[in-house]
Amino acid sequence: MLSSTQPQPQSQGTRRKKQCGSASVLMFKGNNLASRVFERQIRTPPPGTSVYSARRLYENLVPSCTIYDIECPDLSFRKFTDDGQFLVCFSRNHHDLIVYRPTWLSFSCKDEDCDSCDLPSKAKRFESFFTQLYCVSLASGNELICKDFFLYVENNKFGLFATSTAQIHDAPAIGGAIQGIPSIEKITFHLVRMEDGVILDVKVFSNDYLGHSMGVFLYDDLLAIVSLRYQTVHILQIRDSGNFVDVRGIGAFCREDDELFLNSHAQCMITLDKNKLRELPANHIENGTQQHRHIPGTFFLSGIKQRLFSFIFRGIWNEQKDHTMRVQCLKKKFYFHFQDYADLIILKVQFLDRHHLLIKFGSVEGAVSRSTDQHPAFFAVYNMETTEIIAFYQNSAEELYYLFERYCDHFHAASGNSLYMNFISFHSNNIHALEQLRNVKSKTSSFPQFVKKMLASLPFSCQSLSPSPYFDQSLFRFDEKLISATDRHRQSTDHPIKFISRRHPNLLRFKIKPGLGDEDIGNVLKDLGLFLHNASIMVASHQAYIGLDGSISVYLILKQLVICIEKCVSFFC
Amino acid sequence: MNCPSSSGGGAASVAAGGGRARSSATSVSVSGKRIQKDMMEFNINPPADCAAGPKGDSLYQWIATIIGPPELPYEGGIFFLDITFPPEYPFKPPKVVFKTRIYHCNVDSAGNPGLNILKDGWSPALTISKVLLAIRSIFTDPDPRNPLVPGIAHLYLTDRAKHDEVAAEWTMRFASLAA
Repeated sequence: MLSSTQPQPQSQGTRRKKQCGSASVLMFKGNNLASRVFERQIRTPPPGTSVYSARRLYENLVPSCTIYDIECPDLSFRKFTDDGQFLVCFSRNHHDLIVYRPTWLSFSCKDEDCDSCDLPSKAKRFESFFTQLYCVSLASGNELICKDFFLYVENNKFGLFATSTAQIHDAPAIGGAIQGIPSIEKITFHLVRMEDGVILDVKVFSNDYLGHSMGVFLYDDLLAIVSLRYQTVHILQIRDSGNFVDVRGIGAFCREDDELFLNSHAQCMITLDKNKLRELPANHIENGTQQHRHIPGTFFLSGIKQRLFSFIFRGIWNEQKDHTMRVQCLKKKFYFHFQDYADLIILKVQFLDRHHLLIKFGSVEGAVSRSTDQHPAFFAVYNMETTEIIAFYQNSAEELYYLFERYCDHFHAASGNSLYMNFISFHSNNIHALEQLRNVKSKTSSFPQFVKKMLASLPFSCQSLSPSPYFDQSLFRFDEKLISATDRHRQSTDHPIKFISRRHPNLLRFKIKPGLGDEDIGNVLKDLGLFLHNASIMVASHQAYIGLDGSISVYLILKQLVICIEKCVSFFC
Repeated sequence: MNCPSSSGGGAASVAAGGGRARSSATSVSVSGKRIQKDMMEFNINPPADCAAGPKGDSLYQWIATIIGPPELPYEGGIFFLDITFPPEYPFKPPKVVFKTRIYHCNVDSAGNPGLNILKDGWSPALTISKVLLAIRSIFTDPDPRNPLVPGIAHLYLTDRAKHDEVAAEWTMRFASLAA
């Protein structure tokens, strides 16, 4: 205040601040946890940066010890919930859900020189780190748990799981189904209260196919489920009471009451139209017996296609002012490609916010095959409240790529209010990630190919990134080929995964050795590693196929953490 | 201006071509030529609020768009139509179907418009432009005396305001850019 009116004191003030700042930088450079905590106590960080400074503490709190060959239950580990409260596992037969709560350490070293002494034998036990909360059976009959699917509704601490029957590849396309899309007799979504494992509600899809990661995207309490087979985006709400509520289906119709509106008018039309009366009952029976396929006839464009075509048509129409010219343009740019547009199907959907969906359209082949970037694809931004298509791009559109480059974190909107999700490193919010992207971009031989490759990741899969601070690229540098925030299986290597400090490029903060502890085991045939992590514990689950009995080991990384925490405690006491 | 004369000429040449077609049974090329001629005429002078063009490489499959004329319950609607030309064109009428839902007494629940010129009233002298103009005219002048959907025709005659309200709602829900 004073300084803004008087120039002289201002410069003094800034000088003083600078000294202060450099002093704090010096303190930080010491990497001394105690001094950092002290610093945090006496110094208010600049507005809006307190979380950043808090996260910087993870530079000190790093995993430094790997415990191999922990005796652990024979389960398939899915993931930690993002808030670190639960470790979700499935039984090997994919029938049961087993949930553990990560507990703080139940042992400690009392000696002066902790680094040299061995860990107590307790450290070798899985139970020393995790307490089993419950084991509930999810799959019944011939259903199995979809082991790649789990979403966490953080506000209510609900878990969303899916079970399904086997996939039928050559299913006949009946009742408005798309030809060439497989069918699954029964897919059930289970809403589970994570605290105690009570199943609150279920939602069943019959003779349907939902695509990769069950075609599900969760945003706050809103759930979008894509039915590939019936080309409908089901919007559901998860109520606080633990119920699924159908909000609307986007596909054949756009608004939730369109079908009702049409039927109420159709009935008045039928009663007066004697000729039609004879034809319709057969259709009605068919519609009645089969759920969620309200296609009264195939002759009309579906609601979403009508909106899409209207958008494309309007765009070209408005481009040209002269009517003759615009008809020429429409002929070349729209009508000529009309069938290609008409053949597009909804492949994947994500929320951008509570009202807007990013919809990927593509071919049936693109829906079934894994390499999606080979097939033509389009992206549409759709406002489900106004039922309007806001934008439409081809997957080679540079404009969309540049939006993606600049605002990547906006595409990753998983919720309006989970703070830590803001700290996942993207090239749009992290200079190091951006540098990396520029590097790749500069090396690419064909820019259009690069654009396609980058846009192939859209729409994002829900909750596929870990918000762990160890993947914060402003804190650590690591080889993304070996480990990254993306939740997926990867081929593990014998090389240790190194986490190098960003601020001290030559300082290896910690490393994880994913290989088996016993170096002598030479006959490892296949070694799939999946890293699961929450803020304090990292678990590597290894499935090494040695002979017939697949042995599983869990590695925990702790020791320095123990010491750090002890120091913290004594500091505050 | 020169539309009637050109289409008249077209009809004359087609009449001759039709004779040949009947004898040689190569009516496809005749119809193809005629469709191209229609297209040229349409491109030079497209009717207002209408656009049309062949779907892909086939000359016989067209898509047309009619924009709902202003000050009508169809205003703001973008109506897509399928036009299929038979191999016997222009001696048989093209088949026109609405691909967009419309609340209209002359369009049945499957989207078929009840236009006399597309049935018995067809003349080889008619062209794509004429057909689209005729379809556009049912927006402005419905014919409730010869309805395909008597319920709508009845409402149109007895309670025009209510009819327009419902038609506008249909347009908004099923034919516009956004609801």
